[in-house]
Amino acid sequence: MNIIFGLAVTVSVGILICTNPDGVLSAMLSGGEKALNLTLKMVVIYAVWLGIFELLDKTGLSDKIAKLFKPVNRFLFGSIPEKAGDFISMNLSANLLGMSGATTPMGIKSIQELEKYPGTEYAITMFFVINATSVQLIPSSVLALRTSMGSASPADIILPTILATLLSTVIGVLLVKIFVKGKK
Amino acid sequence: MSAYFIPVFFLIILIFSLIKKVKPYDAFTNGAKSAVPFVVSIFPYLISIFVLTELFEMSGLSDFFSDLLAPVFNILGIPKELTKLVLIKPFSGSGALAILSEIFTKYGVDSYLARCACVIYGSSETVFYIAAVYFAGAKTKKLLTPIVISLVASFASCVFACFICLIL
Repeated sequence: MNIIFGLAVTVSVGILICTNPDGVLSAMLSGGEKALNLTLKMVVIYAVWLGIFELLDKTGLSDKIAKLFKPVNRFLFGSIPEKAGDFISMNLSANLLGMSGATTPMGIKSIQELEKYPGTEYAITMFFVINATSVQLIPSSVLALRTSMGSASPADIILPTILATLLSTVIGVLLVKIFVKGKK
Repeated sequence: MSAYFIPVFFLIILIFSLIKKVKPYDAFTNGAKSAVPFVVSIFPYLISIFVLTELFEMSGLSDFFSDLLAPVFNILGIPKELTKLVLIKPFSGSGALAILSEIFTKYGVDSYLARCACVIYGSSETVFYIAAVYFAGAKTKKLLTPIVISLVASFASCVFACFICLIL
């Protein structure tokens, strides 16, 4: 991240000094403003979802969800600590169902939990790649946009999107299995 | 169908909490409480990614890269009108959505280009943004391998998207 950030920012600022020196600070501030707006939206979404998750946890329903995902988790991540398995299962189910507000808090908790144990680099990489290749089944925001712009059949793109997103996840999982070494 | 899903799910949890005699108000409040420190801990990472994206866009680097890569993408079957979308998506979801609606108005919602763009948008993720947020509290700084693998996989699905929209 340091390399990417360092390179991209240095080159961008270098170019802007030559072309538009006033733009540097205003671009940075407008980026900051967008981040703040997103953060404000996220506080609300996360508060609601974390509240729901706490209920899930206290009622013991989260253990049941984790049990359902156990074979999947074993195949993908190998042996992982039980608590991390709970978070991962909830993250994966939220992903599949397109509850985008719920995936992130559970995702971060999964990684923090996995990190507590040595030899989990493989599981962390696999988990990240699955999230970053998107396993969402219904592309709801695209559907909404298509409908609002008067598409004749907005649902046309559902099947190709599902196929493409499955493909990216499968390729991601295979690449991790091939290239990342570590405890399975 | 999907409209019922979240409410029904929530109802089931609430019924369960009553059966199991869990205090629903206490549990919900307790969970919600953790949202503020949580978001505060993500904020610095979020702002870095947004500053990066904004500078990248304003300096013209993103246009430069899309012009540079358009012929390469074209060989792989990605139309040159979609190069920018493919490049922006890993950084910014809202940026990609803006390009998507631009494509809709320019080429028509039901055109091949628009459908293709939808599939690319829907099947890929904001990889850098997810990396920044998911690893916000993590000690690991070895992010290169996971990011590269995710980008390769996403790119493969973009190529596939342009192909499958030709037949479906």
